Formats: sequence, structure tokens, C-alpha cells
Amino acid sequence: MPRTRIRFVPALLLLITAVALLQFAPRVSGQAGAPVFPSTSTGEWPHYSGDIKGSRYSPLDQIDATNFNKLEVAWRLKTDNLGPRLEYKLEGTPLMVKGVLYAVGGTRRSVVAVDAKTGELKWIYGLDEGRRAEVSPRKLSGRGLSYWTDGRGDERIVFVTIGYRLVELDARTGHPVPSFGKNGIIDLKEGVVYMKDKPLPLETGEIGTHSTPLVVNDTIIVQSAMAEGLRYEYSVNAKGLVRAFDAKTGKQLWRFNTIPYPGEPGNETWENESWEWTGNVGVWTEMSADREAGLVYLPVESPTIDIYGGNRPGNNLYAESLVAVDLKTGKKRWHFQLVHHPIWDYDAVGAPLIIDATIDGKPRKLVAQASKQGWLYVFDRLTGEPIWPMPERPVPQSNVPGEKTSPTQPFPSKPPAYSRNYLAPEDVIDFTPALRTQALENLKKYRWEQTPFVPAVIPDGKIFGAINVANTMGGVNWPGSGFDPETSTFYTQAYNSQVSATAISPEYFKVLDPASQAKHRIPIWESQHFGKEESFGPRGPSPLTEGLGGLPIMKPPYGVVSAIDLNQGVLRFQVPHGDTPDAVRNNPMLKGLDIPKTGQQGIVGIVVTKTLVIVGDPMLTAPPGRPRGAMLRAYDKQTGAEVGAVWMPAPQSGNPMTYMVDGRQFIIVAVGGGTYSSEYIAFALPQGEIKRTTDR
Amino acid sequence: MRRRHFVTCCIALCGAAALVASLRAQPAPTVWDGVYTEDQATRGAALYDKECGQCHGPAGAGGGMATPLVGAAFSANYDGQTVGDLFERNRTTMPPGKEGQMGGQENADITAYILKVNGFPAGEAELPSQSMALKGIQYLAFKP
Repeated sequence: MPRTRIRFVPALLLLITAVALLQFAPRVSGQAGAPVFPSTSTGEWPHYSGDIKGSRYSPLDQIDATNFNKLEVAWRLKTDNLGPRLEYKLEGTPLMVKGVLYAVGGTRRSVVAVDAKTGELKWIYGLDEGRRAEVSPRKLSGRGLSYWTDGRGDERIVFVTIGYRLVELDARTGHPVPSFGKNGIIDLKEGVVYMKDKPLPLETGEIGTHSTPLVVNDTIIVQSAMAEGLRYEYSVNAKGLVRAFDAKTGKQLWRFNTIPYPGEPGNETWENESWEWTGNVGVWTEMSADREAGLVYLPVESPTIDIYGGNRPGNNLYAESLVAVDLKTGKKRWHFQLVHHPIWDYDAVGAPLIIDATIDGKPRKLVAQASKQGWLYVFDRLTGEPIWPMPERPVPQSNVPGEKTSPTQPFPSKPPAYSRNYLAPEDVIDFTPALRTQALENLKKYRWEQTPFVPAVIPDGKIFGAINVANTMGGVNWPGSGFDPETSTFYTQAYNSQVSATAISPEYFKVLDPASQAKHRIPIWESQHFGKEESFGPRGPSPLTEGLGGLPIMKPPYGVVSAIDLNQGVLRFQVPHGDTPDAVRNNPMLKGLDIPKTGQQGIVGIVVTKTLVIVGDPMLTAPPGRPRGAMLRAYDKQTGAEVGAVWMPAPQSGNPMTYMVDGRQFIIVAVGGGTYSSEYIAFALPQGEIKRTTDR
Repeated sequence: MRRRHFVTCCIALCGAAALVASLRAQPAPTVWDGVYTEDQATRGAALYDKECGQCHGPAGAGGGMATPLVGAAFSANYDGQTVGDLFERNRTTMPPGKEGQMGGQENADITAYILKVNGFPAGEAELPSQSMALKGIQYLAFKP
């Protein structure tokens, strides 16, 4: 055999191998040529939502309906030792770039980098912030982190600490990047104000975020959040804002004030100068962007004192609005207020969805905002014009002193709601005639009207509250939704049965009353009650559920997975999500009845793949035939049929995501709660089940 | 002498067996057996309003961030566990930022209030404040 031929064969093999590697392996930065950026199209997951469009979509298809039930635990990452105490509320979604998985975890909100194939720890970073973290309104591990690269080898992990500091870490080492901010850190409390222009105290001032910064090109956009709204006794608090920073240096590029100042459009919607003392109006969930249009989309939350607006008459822009701002300048391009003069805690929540669709034969650029109130608000994302009519309709008015309810609210005419937003008579519990009779009797003690906009009441001994559906934890919440960009189909899990009896107790009203508030224009951290705040409300079981044996007053399905075709604006399917809760299945009042699958109460996020919608149960159950636990479920994207499920030791607590490394697709999800401390679990098919034809 | 010794041993063994049998016959207490008092729950309610209610809502109804302490999901978390598990969860992780700072008695009082709002009956004796003792009280969602 000639020597040249011997050399040729290995050379050919090398060439074939090299071509194969280039085609199938994740792309590698830091090489000559055009910069390379990670993407879900290469099996990576470089943003919280997969991309900056909020899609939560990956085109991976190795795991499908035929093999989902064969998934096994590939590795797991327990977060017990990532902070000083155990954590039971891990809400993170990791990122995966070039074979390395980055995640937050633990009560310190530590950042870890692990081998995405095995879970082996590469590095860990944590910042001890002392009292500043102890008094933070947004504690625990948060929802994740962000990734920036120049595409040529400089890679950084970006996240916000519990104490509201923006940190950049070298993705390879976990060390802060010295050239960013001050030794890798920017104090985000600097520049935040309350009242007219008082600087926020750096230690005790109330502001933070659980959500992830949005990285678009070389810009990092950071949101703001305050304490959860139920606790508020003070109109005064930090004012919401969104800021942009240069990803390389940390230099602030712009800020957008969610409460407009005098002279700015929208300030007139704060009557009686109430813009001055009002706080919050943060952006506490994920944001999105349209890179080509140069627009960033901000889902804005409620102002201070969620359920009473007597201290802030007017529509209160940009509270509970979707706002589009310029990526380069932060200037507002358009806004749409979803709820005027907010008093229902209908924060705009979850990443706005940047979807392209074909409507009436024309290609349209959409932004769709999911909501607690079950409606998907759909707009032309360049102009803010509603795609389908959204007429203003009269709504019930408040009888609470000082409250000036908006006379109308926008009602989306299309698409239909993906979850309930009022308690219809036909949706009252009806497992048995006796239960229904009891429930209807209970409802006589409440202000009960068939609209999402029933205002809170002050209980008077006859009326105990207002029946609200979905106003705190219902519909879609921070986990957001997702979509398939190929079919323009929206997918979401939604809590379909959250009923509140909203009341302002006479004791609480004495605190909220505008005359009382006017005497105490101070924020909570200046109060003698700081750290010793009291809440107000009934102390016994609610009369709303009296005689119902612990069963929800609203009938199933309690939680659903819904799909909406945005080309048509129609609901494609709505199916119950989750096994029937034990509290229903084992309920003595239902003994002998055949209870169908009810779905579960709760809010959980999805991931969408080539063929599946994947989401875990929000609740533990112990049905016959399997151990106590929760299931990670797969639904057929076309029909909503459940096509597979795998067992988890605890409910889903953070949104799942999927990625591929070395030809093996993984699904990773955060679980925990109750007595089960949090962990990430990575699932994959056994090596022998992997279909080599789909390897990348 | 030997016979007397044998009889004594038999009596002792029978006594021990009877004691074991009686212990075995004593079912483990559950949350349905009145394991807290109304007074304790009232003290717990005041503490709850100060330490828990801002996040978990009035009477455990739930808030935007914090999960409800009543209802199906909460019940599922503790059904089949023990009151000690609930107590320990509260003692070690609540309230966030002040974990471990409340005393055992305060935690026991708040736990008593949580039992009350979940519909479990009050009784004559207070809930103890040692988690090991509380591990002996079963949390059962439905009356056995």
C-alpha cells in the first residue's frame, strides 16, 4: 500500500470529522471571522426566555411524544449549601451556553456554573450583603441571570443581587469583571428616588428585583420591584424605573421613569399632585425587545396600595400598562394602559411576546401581553394599535370613601380569555346540588358581579368583600407564557380558579384614608414600625368557603394549559393541567362521586419545543399507583393531548428550559416547596434511546 | 427461692408486655385531636399579623409572592407529614430576613393559628414548642 494513501485516509477522516463538528457542535466564540452569538437554534438557551422575544421556544426534537416517558434524571443540583439556609422557593431558569450551564440558587442568590452534561460544579459566586439583603423586598434566589458576549471570546454573566446590585462576572472564572462599574458591580439603588427627588437610602430603601436583566446587543436593561403589594400602609415608596447600562463598562445609557414627572406626558393622570408621593409602578417580571425595530417592551405593575386608589386619583400612567421604549434612548414610543386607575393588582406580568403572524392575509408584527386577568392583549408592536378592537366599556363603581374608580376599562374582543377572570354563575361549584346551594348562599354575602373589575368593599357585617377572580395569583403570573414562532401559536399555563374576597377592613381603611395618609408622607423605612409592620384582615376561615369542606368555590378545571392561534385570534385548546388535588380526590363530601381530572391551582411556566409544550405540576399529589410527588408533563402542541409525564419529588417552582450538548437533549427544571428543599433536576433520555438521526 | 425468682420474672415480663401493648394501642395523635388551645391560636393570630400576614395575606389566604397557608396546595405539602415538619419549616426559614429569630413559643403559637385557619379543632392542651415533640403529631388533611 503506497504511503501517500495511508496518509490520505486519516486526513479524509479528519476532514469529515471537522465538517461534522462544525455542523453539529455548539458554535464557539473567540475565533477569527464574524462574531458568533449563542442561540436556541444551536441547542443553547442564552436568555431567560430562550431569546429576547419571550418565546420560551427551542427547536429541539430529540425528546418527543414517543419517548418522553423514558426520560431519566441525568443529574441534579441541590441548592441547600448555596446560601446560609435551606431554600424552598427556587424560581430560577438556568442558561446554557457552549456546554456550560449557569444558574442562580440558594438563599444568598449565589451564581453557579456547572458542566451542562453532568452538573459538575465549575465555579460559584455569592455576595454577602448583610442587612441590605435582610430588608430587601425581593429575597431568595430570584429567577435567573443573563449572558453577554462580544461574540469574540469575551463572555460575561450578568445578574442582580438580593440587595439590588448589578454584577458582571467573567463567565469562565466567576470573578467580577473589573472594567464593569466599580470592580464588576453597580449599585442600582443609587439614582432611585422617593417623593419628589429624595435619594433612596442605600441600605434600607425598598427596591430590588427577582427578574433577570435583559441583554440586547451591548445594552443591559434592568427593571425594578418593591415589596409585594398586600402589605402597603404607605403611599410613599421608591418610584419605579427602568435603566439601561453599557454591557462593557457599566455606564448608564438611559432611564425611563414609570411615573412621569411634571412636564412629561402622563403626569396629568396623577391628580392632586399624587405623582409626588406615590411609589412602586415597577417592572417586576421579564421584559422583551425587538432588535430590528430597536424597541424594548416593559410590562408595568401597580402603584402603591394595590386595592385602594383614593390617594392617587386619576388613571395613573404608566401603571398596569405595556410601554414600548427606544432601545438606544429609553424614550417612550407608545404605551397602552391595560387597566385604568389600578385597584385590582392586575400588574402586567410576564415577558411581552414578540410574535410575527399573518392576520387577514397580511404579515403583522405583534407584541402580545399575557395577564393575570386571563386576557392576551395583542398590539401592533411598532405602533401600539390593538390588533383586534379593545373597546372601553363601563365597569362597576366603588363605594369606598375617596375612591374614584375609572368609569370604563378596555375589554379585548379577541382572542378569547385563556383563563377565567370572573365568577360566572355556571362556574360555581356543582359537584353536588347541596354544595352548589351552599356556595350560592355564601356568595350572597359578597359583592358578586360578572366582570373582572369588581371594586373592593369595606365589610359592614352584611357584605364581607368583593368577589375577584385572578387578581393576585390567577391567570398568568411571573412565569409568563411562550409561543411557537413557526406557527404563531401562543401557549400558556394559567391558574383558572383563583377567587379572592377583596376587602378593606375598617381598621385598614383608617390607615389608608387620604386624610390619614396626608399626615404621614413617609416611606416604611422611616417609620417606627419598620420591621414590625402589622397586617389587617379577618383572622378566621373565610365565610366564602363555609360549608364547602375545603373545596374551591369555583368548579374545575382549576388550572389549564391553553393555546391561541394568533393568525386567527382563536383558542386552539384548553386542557386541565395537573392531577386532581388530594384535597378534592379524597374529600369526604365527594365520596362515591366520579371526579374527572380537575387540573391544579397554581402558576407555573412552560417550555415549548418542536412538538411539545412541557410544564410541571404546581402541586404535590399522591394518587393511587405512584409515590407522593408531582409530574413534569408533555402536551402535544397541536391538540393539547397529554403525551407523557415523568415523576418529580416536588412541584415545579421555576420555569423549565431545554438544551442539547453532544447530541443529548436535556430538560432542566427547578422543584421544591413544602418540606422539600429546592433543587434543579436535569432530565434526558437514556443513551440507548437517543435517536442518532436527530443528533446535532 | 429459685421458684420465687421465676415467678417474679414472669410477673415482670407480663407487666412489660402489657406496657408495650398499651403503648402500641395508643394511636399517634393527629391534628384532629385538639392539639392546641383557642388562647394559643389567638396569641398566634396576633403574631401572624405582625410576622406573616404582609406576605401570606389575612388568615393565610396568600399573596402575590407568598403561597397561601390554607387550601389544597398547602394541605398537600403537609398531608401525611407531622406538625413538627410545619414547625421546623417556619422556624428555619420564616420570616425571610429574620429566620430563626422567633422563639419556640412564638413559633408554636403561630403554628397553632395556622392549624386553626385550616379548620383543625382546638383542644385542652397547648401545642408544645419543641419540634421533636411536635414530630409525634400527625398532620392529616382529612379526619381519620
